[in-house]
Amino acid sequence: MGKGSGSKESLWVDMTAMCDVAFLLLTFFILTSKFKVEQPVEVFTPSSVSEVKLPETDIMMITVSDDGRIFFDIDGQFKRMDLINKIDEKYSLNLTDQEKTAFSLGSSFGVPIGSMKQYLSLPVDQRKSVRMSGIPSDSTNNELSEWILYGRMTNPKIRIAIKADKDASYPVVGKVIKTLQERNINKFNLITDMEIRPEI
Amino acid sequence: MAQMETAESGGGRKKHEKVRAKKMSTRVDLTAMVDLAFLLITFFMLTTTLSQPQTMEINMPLKPDNEDKPPEVKQSKVLTLLLAADDRVFYYHGLPEDGMTVDYTNFSAKGVRTILLDKKAEVEAEHGKDETLVLIKASDESKYKNFVDILDEMSITGIQRYAIMDILPLEVEMIQSAVIEK
Repeated sequence: MGKGSGSKESLWVDMTAMCDVAFLLLTFFILTSKFKVEQPVEVFTPSSVSEVKLPETDIMMITVSDDGRIFFDIDGQFKRMDLINKIDEKYSLNLTDQEKTAFSLGSSFGVPIGSMKQYLSLPVDQRKSVRMSGIPSDSTNNELSEWILYGRMTNPKIRIAIKADKDASYPVVGKVIKTLQERNINKFNLITDMEIRPEI
Repeated sequence: MAQMETAESGGGRKKHEKVRAKKMSTRVDLTAMVDLAFLLITFFMLTTTLSQPQTMEINMPLKPDNEDKPPEVKQSKVLTLLLAADDRVFYYHGLPEDGMTVDYTNFSAKGVRTILLDKKAEVEAEHGKDETLVLIKASDESKYKNFVDILDEMSITGIQRYAIMDILPLEVEMIQSAVIEK
């Protein structure tokens, strides 16, 4: 009988400690994490030896894809709401509340202001699959400049980051930089990957 | 433990049974809970971005007024880098002139970095520390990667003064004629 009870006891593993550890890790991951946001294009950034980290909030992200399309993104749901309200007012797009909410919950976008209403009225799953043409940034029709202006109005302490693909041609990036300079923004960040600093 | 309890009086047996019953009830099988916790951990690990991206900070000069004269710099302190197609960097010292030949190099450690370090040492010997001025001009054929690479070289070689400028038509011609020659 003693033998039997012994073997029975050995089968019973105490899970309490393991459970504690598992939940501790779970808490850690929940608290430290930020969800991945789906990007309209995949961008491979070039690498640099710079070791500055990008702050997590108050970021205006201008993405340049390898085929030269420009996308715009700003963080914070309420700031996005504020931004689309301002754009709606300026360009009288007559957006419905539903479309504005769709904008505030979305992420990076690259559609001209003219087709914004059409884009926002699409259901969520279709909006992801639609191919965006990029934000116009020519000197005659510089909508990017408008987005930057209103983006800064919604959040004055915003920082501007340019995330360009390493194969994007320089003139497009140069155009973005020039647009920023025209708005008197002379300090901005370029997003890069990490690289080990070589010895010289 | 059992001995201690038998040493007690009549109520001991009752108490003993009670304790045993309690002991059985406290053993909860946590296996399922652990399974669940690890499942959630896995989910969070896969769906989240832990690392923040690296960035490179750029400070551009203020937009000059039309009346402002550009600051004058001694020619011997200036090195101009022209970023061209196919990861090539053309470079020349001083001011651009007609019919000037430009050499080219690449982005490797033996390429543009040695040129920058040589120039830096040369200017340092002649004019003093941090006097080198590098002008970076990206042509329309260059890639964004070239631009970041060259800014990176500035940081690696420790050149403090550099400017990002538009390429001049003369310099475009210089690149073209150099390409034809090669």
